[in-house]
Amino acid sequence: MRNSFKKVYLLISVLMVVMLAACSEDETNATSEKSGGPVSAKIGVISYMTGPGAAYGEAITNGFNLALDEINEKGDVKIELIIEDSAGKQDQALTVAQKLMSSDDIVALLGPTLSTEMNVVGPEADINGIPIMGTSTTAAGIPQIGEYVFRNSIPESLAIPAALEKAVNKYGAKKVAILYGNDDLFTQSGFDTMKAEAENMGLEILTIETFQKGQSDYNAQLTKIKDLQPDLILASALYNEGAVIMDQARKMGIDLPFVGGNGFNSPQVIEIAGEASEGLIVATPWFGEKDDPKVQDFVKKYETEYGHKPDQFAAQAYDALYIMAEGLKNAGVADRDALRDALAEIKDLDGILGKFSFDEDGDVIMEPTVLIIKDGAFQQFE
Amino acid sequence: MLLEQIINGITLGSIYAIVALGFTLVFGVLGIINMAHGEIFMIGAFIGVLITSVLGLPLWIAFIAAIGVTVILGYMLERIALRPLRGKQGVSHLAPLISTIGVSILLENLSHHIFGAGNHPFRHSFAQIQFQVGSITIYLVQILIFVISITLMVVLSYWLSKTKAGKALRATAENLETASLLGVNTKRTITTTVILASALGGIAGILVGMAFNSVNPQMGLSMGLKGLAIIILGGMGNVKGAMAGGLLLGLAETMIVAYGDSGYRDAIAFITIIFILLLRPQGIFGKNTAEAGR
Amino acid sequence: MLGDIINPYHLQIISFILINIILGISIYITLSSGQLSLGNAGFMGIGAYTSALLTINFDLPIFLGIILGAVVAGVFGILIGIPALRLSGVYLAIATLGFGEVIRVIFVNWESITQGSIGLSGIPHLGRELFKTFKLTGFDPDMLGLKNNQFIYLLVVLILLLVNILLVWFFIRQNKSRVGRAFAAIKMDEKAAESMGINITYYKVLSFTQGAILAGFAGALYAHVMAYISPADFAYHRAIDILIFSIFGGSELIWGAIFGATFMTILPEALRFISDYRYMIYGVILIAMMAFRPQGIIDVSLLKWFKKKLKLKRGGSLGIGTKKYN
Repeated sequence: MRNSFKKVYLLISVLMVVMLAACSEDETNATSEKSGGPVSAKIGVISYMTGPGAAYGEAITNGFNLALDEINEKGDVKIELIIEDSAGKQDQALTVAQKLMSSDDIVALLGPTLSTEMNVVGPEADINGIPIMGTSTTAAGIPQIGEYVFRNSIPESLAIPAALEKAVNKYGAKKVAILYGNDDLFTQSGFDTMKAEAENMGLEILTIETFQKGQSDYNAQLTKIKDLQPDLILASALYNEGAVIMDQARKMGIDLPFVGGNGFNSPQVIEIAGEASEGLIVATPWFGEKDDPKVQDFVKKYETEYGHKPDQFAAQAYDALYIMAEGLKNAGVADRDALRDALAEIKDLDGILGKFSFDEDGDVIMEPTVLIIKDGAFQQFE
Repeated sequence: MLLEQIINGITLGSIYAIVALGFTLVFGVLGIINMAHGEIFMIGAFIGVLITSVLGLPLWIAFIAAIGVTVILGYMLERIALRPLRGKQGVSHLAPLISTIGVSILLENLSHHIFGAGNHPFRHSFAQIQFQVGSITIYLVQILIFVISITLMVVLSYWLSKTKAGKALRATAENLETASLLGVNTKRTITTTVILASALGGIAGILVGMAFNSVNPQMGLSMGLKGLAIIILGGMGNVKGAMAGGLLLGLAETMIVAYGDSGYRDAIAFITIIFILLLRPQGIFGKNTAEAGR
Repeated sequence: MLGDIINPYHLQIISFILINIILGISIYITLSSGQLSLGNAGFMGIGAYTSALLTINFDLPIFLGIILGAVVAGVFGILIGIPALRLSGVYLAIATLGFGEVIRVIFVNWESITQGSIGLSGIPHLGRELFKTFKLTGFDPDMLGLKNNQFIYLLVVLILLLVNILLVWFFIRQNKSRVGRAFAAIKMDEKAAESMGINITYYKVLSFTQGAILAGFAGALYAHVMAYISPADFAYHRAIDILIFSIFGGSELIWGAIFGATFMTILPEALRFISDYRYMIYGVILIAMMAFRPQGIIDVSLLKWFKKKLKLKRGGSLGIGTKKYN
């Protein structure tokens, strides 16, 4: 028996070595050149590309790739992206992060997509001293993980109060109902902000309803909400579920405006829910109809490249790479610590989202725009 | 509000019931839990979207196409994932479970690649037809779903108990070897069962698309788990039990949202399972002996 | 020197493999008495949350937290195991799957304790805490030529490896003992086992509880290796993952679970270059496995074959081998 154990162990260890070797094939020892010319650097991207949230990862990598071509064409810096899939799972995000971090010529990380993943990857990146920037992580406390952790996505604590305040003032709302997805960090975190802000503004919360991933029937929750007759519905949902919720609400005869969080903001809402999406109010850093040549240029390029309009995830990713490029240019060398310091210094960088700066934690300083869906399009909400 | 919630519950429950019918057929005959059933249901829904919203063809074509595609899927499922395991030496009783899990993972990710990860709207004017009864809005779709589910149950019960093919199916369910000795073509019977179950899944898929206007690659998993819960509730392999279990779960889920905490909505199915299994393992409508009304 | 070989990425994968092996054994051990539990993701969650909450809120040492996590999971194992004895086969599988989902929903909804789906962050990290203790004694990883994070992950892997060796040793011993034989007898034929005077209730609950303890133990380790947990970590997908370890590798032998856990952890990493199709391939592998080798990769006859080969090689090739090296 003992011999066979050894044999199996041998088999397993051989297998392990072979496969591990396969895992690390792209870890060549080429170090980046530092002398003269444009800085060239490799940046690791951790994105959610397979699984239920693959749509977000897709938009994000599209944004990166679009920016990448432009930046490399300009030639101030030369960037190479190494994109890895995390499948939206923390352990896989951590593993690919380790993989990227252990390759010395990678100077920074972009992503991961979800805040749950960032909660795991962030501390590790911070310990290893590699700058990491989330482009879609909006939950509270992310940049506070450490001094190497940044984000360029505007947090819910900035977006939701802005939207809520405008909506309440406009409609004179006093009673609200809240609906949120309670098995998702993103929507849960949005709900926490919503509830705190609603209490803060002295609104009466009639009911708090939840829904779960993969649910397709929201009629029960909506019927209950309809019966309580609120003035406003606050919905912390991702656009995929959010659009369906609005559709079912309108069918039921609920004509109230909806206030949504960051994840609710996407042109896809209009595509999925059609007319039912009228009256959705969101605050966002990204407004695709903005009268800015930079923005329009991006939208046009994105549409020709990928066949549909960009959403905020694509826009934030696009800007994020420009921020990285600016950091690299200012740092002058492809070095992790130099890049971190250069990133922290970034002030009023002009992007498609507007003027961008980091605060002392590495969080976003930015004024969100409040939008409403009207006549089948996002419009500025006054 | 109560009345509206009951309507919501019945609509949801009817869909659950049709999904569970497919589950229960396969379990009744093969003794297998078909974990891929939820994904076949999801594919059915996507075919519905494709035919009506993308190609703009009428609804009845969508039904026929969805049934056609799911029948093919069912046949392939039987040939590739189930038949090779049958009658083989040393096969653990878990093998078909794992094999169908494999199919479910494959189908979910395949439709991810084909259709994308997002929600697809099911745009059809038929879904907009509504009546006003007092203060309550009822959609024709809701009535249709209920009628279809009842009809399917009745037809299936009749078919199983009265027709020759149905009798062959029940004989196979009772004892595969004896049935084949008595001249039942068990191979064909089993294939028929899986195909029939898949077609039921496809029909349920279109109905969900119409009722909730939401079709995505992940819907199969959630629906599959619910279907599993229902056949426990109604008794494994029991057609009427699946119907009753489905309606019961739909109503219970709706009521817990209406009068309780919506956060526990998904748990209700599983809490029920645990209690039913501990108190009456054969399910509410199951009988103790082998003569259970399959 | 050492610093060049040790790659945190590889260490990370190895530590996941080692945790998954414990999970694989946890389902193997319940299977060895003929019971199928799909609730191991739930037990894993109980272990993880118990240990995480105790170490965060009461500053309990990690080791104590992990042990308590395993114990609490074991208590739940007994509570579920006794009534679930009435069920067999597929019914038990579904009941335990239901249990796992209920546990997850409780984690999601019991926000005051578990933070809901926000998850628990700031869980003391096994390696980092140990590293701190090492630092206090004046030890510096530089002495071994290691960077801090290399040393931290090396520590984690070494601890997990030790734990794994102990567990495997224990369960191999158990398999050859009265307990293991009782399990095997029950798996073969429950009625016959009972008539032979085996206390079925006792042994079935024992094997179910052992599975629960192991899953809880693995969960607690997971919590302290990831330093962050959320209810989504212990959902249906995890239960299926765990099941696959044992079924793919082979459910007849403990080596099957070990091999399955190792292979299925490495597979997605190795197949990353076709990452888009990863899960599709995963599905195809499962179907093909069941069609061509339903008992799993490693079974008794494979092991016997290996043994034979090994003996032949030992006898015949030793001389040639030494010659070559001369």
